[in-house]
Amino acid sequence: MTPPGRIAFEEVWKEFRKGPAHDSLRDLVPALTRRLLTGRKDGATGSKREAFWALRDVSFDVVPGHCMGIIGGNGAGKSTTLKILTGILQPTRGRSILTGRVGSLIEVSAGFHMDLTGRENVFLQGAIMGMKRDEIRRRFDEIVDFSGVGEFIDTPVKRYSSGMNARLGFSIAVHLEPDALIVDEVLSVGDANFQQHAFGRLKEMVRGQIPAVIVTHQLNRIVELCDSCIVLERGAVRFHGLPEAAVSAYLHDDSSAQRVDPPDAPLRNLSLTPHWDGAVPSGSTLELVIAGEVPRALPADYRLELAVRRVTDGTRIHGFWLERTGYELPALGPFSWPLELKANLNTGLYQVDIFLYSPVAQRIILDGPRVLLQVEAEPPFMGDVYLGLAAR
Amino acid sequence: MQGLTVVQDLIRYRELLFQFVRRDISLRYRQAIMGFGWAILLPLLTMGASLVLRAVAFKGGAVGAPPLAALAVKAWAWGFVAGALTFGSQSLLSNISLVTKIYFPREILPVAAILTQCVDGTIGFCVLVIALPFLGAKLGLAALWFPVFLLLLVLLVSGLALLLAAANIFFRDVKYIVQVFLTFGIFFTPVVYDPSSFHGLARAAVMANPFAGILVGLDLALTRNMNLAATHMAGTRILWQPTDLIAPVLGTAILLVAGLGLFRRGSAWFAEVY
Repeated sequence: MTPPGRIAFEEVWKEFRKGPAHDSLRDLVPALTRRLLTGRKDGATGSKREAFWALRDVSFDVVPGHCMGIIGGNGAGKSTTLKILTGILQPTRGRSILTGRVGSLIEVSAGFHMDLTGRENVFLQGAIMGMKRDEIRRRFDEIVDFSGVGEFIDTPVKRYSSGMNARLGFSIAVHLEPDALIVDEVLSVGDANFQQHAFGRLKEMVRGQIPAVIVTHQLNRIVELCDSCIVLERGAVRFHGLPEAAVSAYLHDDSSAQRVDPPDAPLRNLSLTPHWDGAVPSGSTLELVIAGEVPRALPADYRLELAVRRVTDGTRIHGFWLERTGYELPALGPFSWPLELKANLNTGLYQVDIFLYSPVAQRIILDGPRVLLQVEAEPPFMGDVYLGLAAR
Repeated sequence: MQGLTVVQDLIRYRELLFQFVRRDISLRYRQAIMGFGWAILLPLLTMGASLVLRAVAFKGGAVGAPPLAALAVKAWAWGFVAGALTFGSQSLLSNISLVTKIYFPREILPVAAILTQCVDGTIGFCVLVIALPFLGAKLGLAALWFPVFLLLLVLLVSGLALLLAAANIFFRDVKYIVQVFLTFGIFFTPVVYDPSSFHGLARAAVMANPFAGILVGLDLALTRNMNLAATHMAGTRILWQPTDLIAPVLGTAILLVAGLGLFRRGSAWFAEVY
């Protein structure tokens, strides 16, 4: 038996050079000649090209059975990290460790050749991912079934839709039995049905006794799948911890835990304390406390408002003026409002935030704290809203 | 040492190697009108050209004119060299999307291109073997030298292809250099003429080309039943002498070691440079 896989980075730095290298001997030969004649390096030899660090001192260790997410904005170094992990790029400093047979769900149809049929491409792509021929043959029907390509399996893939292409690639990848798993942004393949299907399969793979690293922009998936998560920012690890905390750290550049009120803030010490832990079932009743202090008289139109947004796309799903719950902001001094809220939502990651709004000025006067809310629908249902349909 | 790791890698990834060869072969012959006819067309054309040249330059049957069988063998071998170097040197660039996205030992690509060409060559060889007796070849025990020289040829071409494929990633004009090399190489390599037409230094210069010794060796072993450990004369002309082996063996060793070494060193940068 092969030893269990391990995925780790030890103080990895990666330097890239900006600007073009020599693209042809035509450029190189004069440059080298010049260098020989004048005895000094000049720009064309590449030394003048500006360097930048794509990764700075990144370390992590993912043990078997553990799944780590990586989130960060564009250019934060996520792809570079994965490319170094899979051995496509070499770290400038530090060490990248990846043992065992690696299942990499990156560019799942990169090896496809347009002129070959689906069947031929399954064998080709399977071999590229490290599968043996018998293994592919044994799982061939499963792969085709999973992809939903069906009767088109003997058609050249150039006649496939892009969705079919991606689905077939994904199916091959998830039928690998890897010792370590690396997933990059492949969760958005195909239609909603296939995505659900694919995500379920991925979950099974991740829940196995293998280490896994996942990069995705679908933050709710990170929370759902991962045991830990790092946030990359301009090549450095800004946060490393629980997925919920990482998502929250990623969404709020200023750490909301240590907010400092400006001296002229209309409200002080505004807080939002959730009384729930981890994922909550759809339809459950949640408790939270909103508290703060009014330092001086507020304009009459100012109101506190609560909003629930979907994290993945920022859509506001719910907004409510807190005065309508019956509470009223005091003219002066502290206030503390225990509240309840029904999580009538589908599976996903949501963000609850409060802010002070002026209907007269039509703008937000003060942004308050935000908390994350992870909802898990059991049993699953379609659509956005939970209506509590039940037998009577 | 480097060579050993490469061989280990190739064995470990033999499945992928096989799939690449299969892909390249089925792509080359799919939707091609002539199908496998392409495998013998190029050697046939080279042979035809050689015949014209022979008729003009050697006035048919003059001293130094290579027999038909020799032309056929050398044209076939040169066809293999041309195909292997063309596809081998392009192998990384034409699969660049894989190189920048998925990890596997990069040597697989040029090696797969060479193996694909070997399949082509085998088809050509079948035709060649059938034709040789009619072209006046003398088949005998010395034909055992043939596989030895064939192995040398494959290794030499592999070393060169590795070198060129890697260089092609860093410098795009390598492609044109390969074409120039192949176009003019045929004049500097004894494909349509025999080195035995030259004497002294001129012959040494021709035989210094590692391809020359291999091509001549292939021919003499297969069509003239000559033991290549001995010297063979035709009148005052030297058909073969054992020292003719120096350039092929040395050239193959140097190019193979340099090709494997430089390719490995460069491969860490392939994804970055592109």
